[in-house]
Amino acid sequence: MAATVGIVLVSHSAALAEGTAELAGQVGGGAVLIAPAGGTSDGRLGTSADKVASAVRSASSGGGGVVVLPDLGSSVLTVRALLAEGDLSGFGPVELADAPFVEGAVAAAVVAAAGGSIKDVLDAAQEARHAGKL
Amino acid sequence: MPENSEAPERAAEAGVYSATVTLSGDLHARPAGALSMAAARFSAAVLLLVEGREANAKSVLAVMQLGAASGQTVTVRATGPDAPEAVAAITQALAAATKVGD
Repeated sequence: MAATVGIVLVSHSAALAEGTAELAGQVGGGAVLIAPAGGTSDGRLGTSADKVASAVRSASSGGGGVVVLPDLGSSVLTVRALLAEGDLSGFGPVELADAPFVEGAVAAAVVAAAGGSIKDVLDAAQEARHAGKL
Repeated sequence: MPENSEAPERAAEAGVYSATVTLSGDLHARPAGALSMAAARFSAAVLLLVEGREANAKSVLAVMQLGAASGQTVTVRATGPDAPEAVAAITQALAAATKVGD
């Protein structure tokens, strides 16, 4: 079994991260590791560095690295701070995607489920910006 | 075997193969995902063509954007070294993924 890429969804809202993970997981045929990291540790809207770090650890178990999709604002800052401080080292390559949250998660999940490399998964997430709906 | 599909046909242009499928259900998010995952296994470039619109079969978002619905005919066109196998696999995936009840 080749190494597979995991996906972390970082949102201010636990419900948003979990719901998006559920949707992307289903479109990806259930064959991809997607870890949600939403809300603060006491259940409010916000982001938690601990939740993000533990989601990255769990998503890294496929061995192919992790693509992290943040929703907005402090989600981005939280992931950037963890990367800058080296708190996400030891989990293989970790890439932060500049992508729309739902579309990027779905596109990334399909490519990860198909066995794409971390670059393929990152590109799929970031190209989602250019995909129309209509 | 999927209904309404043809054996991959070699087009006038060398290395281009295509076949058609008439959908028995809508090409929703989950079927689009199944289709894109099937397309990703091939190195051939694979296009889906529906009523003048086209999409890269390997892009789930592009496949969803096609908005292909039950009763419409989709042409699968592949170009590349494994194009015949890609057309056969993707027409089958398309028919299976849009079967009513999914």
